[in-house]
Amino acid sequence: MINQLLEFSTIIGILTTAIRLATPFLLAALGEMFDQRAGVYNLGVEGVMMLGAFIGFWVSLRTGSSYIGILAAIFAGVLMGLLMGLVSITLQAEQGISGIGLFMFGVGLAGYLFRITIGYITNIEGFQPIKIPILGDIPILGTVFFNHNWMVYFAFLMVPISWFILFKTTWGLKIRTAGMTPEAADTLGLSVVAIRYTCLVIGSVAAAMAGAFLTLGHTNMYADNISAGRGFIAVALVYFGRWNPWGILGGALFFSFVDALQLWVQVLGLKIPYEFAVMAPYVLTILALVLAARRIWEPAALGKPFNREGD
Amino acid sequence: MKKVALSVVLIMVLAMLLSACGTQTASQKIKIALVLPSTVDDLSWSQGMTEGVKAVQKELGEDKVEVAISERLGNPTDAAAAVRQYASQGYDLIIAHGSQYQSILDEIAKEFPKTSFAYGTGYQAHDNIFAYDPQSQEGAYLQGIIAGKLTKSNIIGIVGPIEAGDAIKYNVGFQQGVKSVNPNADVRVAYTGSFGDIAKASELAKAQIDAGADILTGTAQQTVGAIKACAEKPGIYWLGNDMDQSSIAPDTVLTAQAYNWKDVVMQMVKFRQEGKIGGEHLVLSLGNGGIQIVVNQKLANVIPADVMALVEQTKKDIIAGKLTIELPK
Repeated sequence: MINQLLEFSTIIGILTTAIRLATPFLLAALGEMFDQRAGVYNLGVEGVMMLGAFIGFWVSLRTGSSYIGILAAIFAGVLMGLLMGLVSITLQAEQGISGIGLFMFGVGLAGYLFRITIGYITNIEGFQPIKIPILGDIPILGTVFFNHNWMVYFAFLMVPISWFILFKTTWGLKIRTAGMTPEAADTLGLSVVAIRYTCLVIGSVAAAMAGAFLTLGHTNMYADNISAGRGFIAVALVYFGRWNPWGILGGALFFSFVDALQLWVQVLGLKIPYEFAVMAPYVLTILALVLAARRIWEPAALGKPFNREGD
Repeated sequence: MKKVALSVVLIMVLAMLLSACGTQTASQKIKIALVLPSTVDDLSWSQGMTEGVKAVQKELGEDKVEVAISERLGNPTDAAAAVRQYASQGYDLIIAHGSQYQSILDEIAKEFPKTSFAYGTGYQAHDNIFAYDPQSQEGAYLQGIIAGKLTKSNIIGIVGPIEAGDAIKYNVGFQQGVKSVNPNADVRVAYTGSFGDIAKASELAKAQIDAGADILTGTAQQTVGAIKACAEKPGIYWLGNDMDQSSIAPDTVLTAQAYNWKDVVMQMVKFRQEGKIGGEHLVLSLGNGGIQIVVNQKLANVIPADVMALVEQTKKDIIAGKLTIELPK
């Protein structure tokens, strides 16, 4: 049995599964990283994912085009980001509470809209895998990395792009300042409010795309509670990755790899109680979070509403 | 302080008045409440029961049966609040559709001795609690025969939810059915650890297929994700459970074990009319028509006639008691 696990075809299977599983985490967590770098944490990722998953699916089903579906999901993400901004930035509500509110709102709204617009389980074509020329023909690597649908490539490309934006552009510097010392940013004439709003919209769009990936690029269907807690894992991955895109990539891959491995271990019939297999990715992530609990990378003003009067 | 006391008394009186009204209407028609772990449109466990209750309502008349449904109460603590509320609103029969609700019903049923409660999969029935118990291993055994005969790779994959209740009975029956016709076949059981994570079920089905399985089966509402994953690979078949699921993948879903919930609900309504408000263990089996094997007509030619004949014969043997399926204790 152990030999089977080390066979090439099995290893390819595990890695390919891991890449697919990592995609929604990566998108949602990179988005959440922008929120937090600007000083706002959004616990509503799960709700935004659920709404993005539904809107993307519904529009794809009605129009017959998953590309129009993803645009609609992005639009829903913009609205959810603005809503979170209104509550947590403009009205300066406690961010944790407003995030939970956004989560419940998104989940409830998605479920309700599904009931009144579709109301039964159905499916769509979804995004088909695109084999990257040349790279896709490399043995092993080609199957594992270069034979997915465009959303997978997009999610992984967002890692270096996010890193570049955050650390190599002035705009990235502004974002980080808004999250570290908003007073200083304000003194320099930057609008902390505008920066935080923009980041919330970016984060929310990314979460909506992560949700839409589940319906348009993974299961090709919508059912109640499709996100199943992935939004919260994504928030944990931001801490795991220490607010750094590469760290988040590592965390998402680690979690997904363990998850893929445990699925395959079960399929191949290795004698491990399935309960241990199922909880392995969560337990290891918690362990890693505990071991990496030093918060020196945390944006200093995270969670603190910005107020010009400085109260 | 006086004012507070007065308002409490007033509210109590008002509440008594309302509950009195409630019982009056209840004597004219039967009020059924359904508490579901997932949604009425999950294409499996919850949808099957919902359709059963609706069918009873249709048969007895819309004016005779009132139905209320609460969804997404997979967590027993949340479900308890809904059950209690229905009970205090004067509902006659409250069905909490899942084995996980047994303990909350045990507790609540004592407070409402005139109300009937029901749950399942389970067998422990008390004074005013019905337990219904689909013998899912029976239909699973028949589907196992089909899988064992049809597999070309000799690998059959199960996409399981959580190792409990219905899933155990189904998986055990299915494995025995496969072994009875094809001892060399490898039945691989894997669980997602969830009932409703369709993305995980999809991924597990893909892993099973990549590892060589050509026939897959499984239980719980998440299986719709697995069915879709099977539909995307040619030559892979799915054997369904709970209800006919061929609508989402007409070229993939071969058969399904469908539960006839209508009969169970009707039975409970009749018991109540006869003055028996609980204490019955209601079995759904091949013998009493509580379980049926539904064949997807579009793919009927995929199953050879001799296999179908064997399935029919085995069904007769199970009904006659000549064949019993061993369940783990």
